[in-house]
Amino acid sequence: MTATAARAPGFWRRNQQRLTPWLFMAPGLLMFAIYVLIPIFESIAISFYDWDGLGEKVFIGLSNYVELMDDDTFYVALKNNVLWLVLYLLAIPAGLAVALFLNQTVTGIRLYKSLFFFPFVISQVVVGLIFTWFYAPDFGLFSALLKSLTGQEIAILADERYVTYGIILAGLWPQTAYCMILYLTGLNNINPEQVEAARMDGAKGLKLLWYVILPQLAPATFIALVVTVIGSLRSFDLVSIMTSGGPYGSSQVLSYFMYEQALSEYGFRMGYGAAIAVVLFLIMMVFISVFIVRMLSQERNA
Amino acid sequence: MADVTLKGVTKQFGAHAVIKGVDLSVADGEFCVFVGPSGCGKSTLLRMIAGLEDISGGTLSIGGRDMTNVGPSERGVAMVFQSYALYPHMTVRDNIGFGLKMTGHAKADIDARVAEAARMLQLDALLERKPGQLSGGQRQRVAIGRAIVRKPEVFLFDEPLSNLDAALRVQMRIELSHLHADLKATMIYVTHDQVEAMTMADKIVVLSAGRIEQVGSPLDLYHRPDNLFVAGFIGSPKMNFIKTRTTAAGAGVTVTLPGGGTLSLPAPAGDLPKGEVTLGVRPEHLSATGEGDATLTGTVRVAEHLGSETLYFAALPDGTELSVKADGLSGLRVGDAITIGIPASACHLFDGEGKAVLNGDLRR
Repeated sequence: MTATAARAPGFWRRNQQRLTPWLFMAPGLLMFAIYVLIPIFESIAISFYDWDGLGEKVFIGLSNYVELMDDDTFYVALKNNVLWLVLYLLAIPAGLAVALFLNQTVTGIRLYKSLFFFPFVISQVVVGLIFTWFYAPDFGLFSALLKSLTGQEIAILADERYVTYGIILAGLWPQTAYCMILYLTGLNNINPEQVEAARMDGAKGLKLLWYVILPQLAPATFIALVVTVIGSLRSFDLVSIMTSGGPYGSSQVLSYFMYEQALSEYGFRMGYGAAIAVVLFLIMMVFISVFIVRMLSQERNA
Repeated sequence: MADVTLKGVTKQFGAHAVIKGVDLSVADGEFCVFVGPSGCGKSTLLRMIAGLEDISGGTLSIGGRDMTNVGPSERGVAMVFQSYALYPHMTVRDNIGFGLKMTGHAKADIDARVAEAARMLQLDALLERKPGQLSGGQRQRVAIGRAIVRKPEVFLFDEPLSNLDAALRVQMRIELSHLHADLKATMIYVTHDQVEAMTMADKIVVLSAGRIEQVGSPLDLYHRPDNLFVAGFIGSPKMNFIKTRTTAAGAGVTVTLPGGGTLSLPAPAGDLPKGEVTLGVRPEHLSATGEGDATLTGTVRVAEHLGSETLYFAALPDGTELSVKADGLSGLRVGDAITIGIPASACHLFDGEGKAVLNGDLRR
């Protein structure tokens, strides 16, 4: 044996297998830490202070949270967030229905699919503007329709009773398109012979959908549920563009409330805004934990 | 149990005719195999019997009842698909019992029938598994179980063995034959594999371009092909065809062979065909040692030694290629001269349109 071959291999050679994955992950981990992890802890820390963003930070303990518990707007926002969460889920069956409808082979089907997917591609701001015009009294299509049907006009976005529903409906438009795409991909993966086998077995219509198609779409349903729940909780753009939380704060949601308290012309209460953000984060964590646990258990079974 | 009758059945996809008028009757309890090259319409015809494709023209009756426009689940037929098409989210038990559940059978009845089917197919131990945890052969059995549990009058198989490896295919072939013997049901089986057709069928239907070329028992098709297509399709390696001319000679005909030789054959039943004819003779009936009623000489181009037999592909001086099946111990090499013997009794003659005028049926 020569001297070179007998020498112990270098540090890199010995640990290459162990270090390589970490090296590949390093850029991602770094970004994730700087832009996600550290800000989470910073927000939690700021929520214990009274701070206008420029001046001296004053530690006030849990005072921000105590104030939040007595804030009527907080409860309006919380109630609206629950409403968003529940009604936003309608995007899932609606997306499934559109996907089932579009899952056929006729000439130009790609064009129709693209058109149905279109609302998801355009900016939420544009969606908000379109629906604002749609609801607008005097010239809005919806108002005109309502007037011809009932004889009276309702200014949806100026009416405390309907404003949140009006915004959620606008949000359902792109969200349905998103769920549709998820389901179309799922439907693509179903073997057509399986559907034929089910027809030979005597299953048709809703029975076919329930027993054969839907169970195989479970992965798509799961993803649709995750993105819809999280999307509903972080609803911000539509509220901001359509009503700015009005009238009289009646269409507030937590994320817009936080922005209003911390970053808008209403004040620069960084500590109070951070406290709202922490509450929203905790609510989201409940759902995210459920999803992650489910995903992990699925991975273990697979 | 029921017979299946097709009368003038056609299928159009738009302006394109896929099935161009098929008349066929499959007797009760018969094992009928559709064979043909890919694209000949055999699967489409099967799917029309299943009810998965509409029948554009003609009528279909099963067990004497008109089924032309009846839905697939009401025809009393069950189908086994090429991809098995098992429901991946259901256990084997649920897969087999699904059809009964859909038709509203009682739970106890379903359990009993699933258990019986599982016993027949040796699936008892696998009932709680999902299809993803089964091997190809086991999945195949589940697909068959799903068919038999419904007690159909007619079983339809669409290339069911094509996804299995060679050894399993042989085994499943035997099992399917046993199953047919046990159930005594009518079975219609689509395949492109002529070995499956020859080994399992009571009756073979050879299809080409949407038409039936010939219907008959496996040995009838082998010994008495009606036309060039069937002669070339049945048998492996395929029958040798030699373009030639005939002249009447006393009680028979004389055929001119490449290289100048002649061969005397018995007279065809009808008129002697005029012009160019095709002489057909199978490789296994030719002799590599020159024994026969006439001989041809050529050069060995390819020699395949299979152990049990040897296949020679020889070229005659005029360019005609012939394949010859010889003994496994035959020692000719590529480039060697070969003397090929032709027995007159095994020769077929086809007229200018490809119709058989003389069949060398060796069973006579």
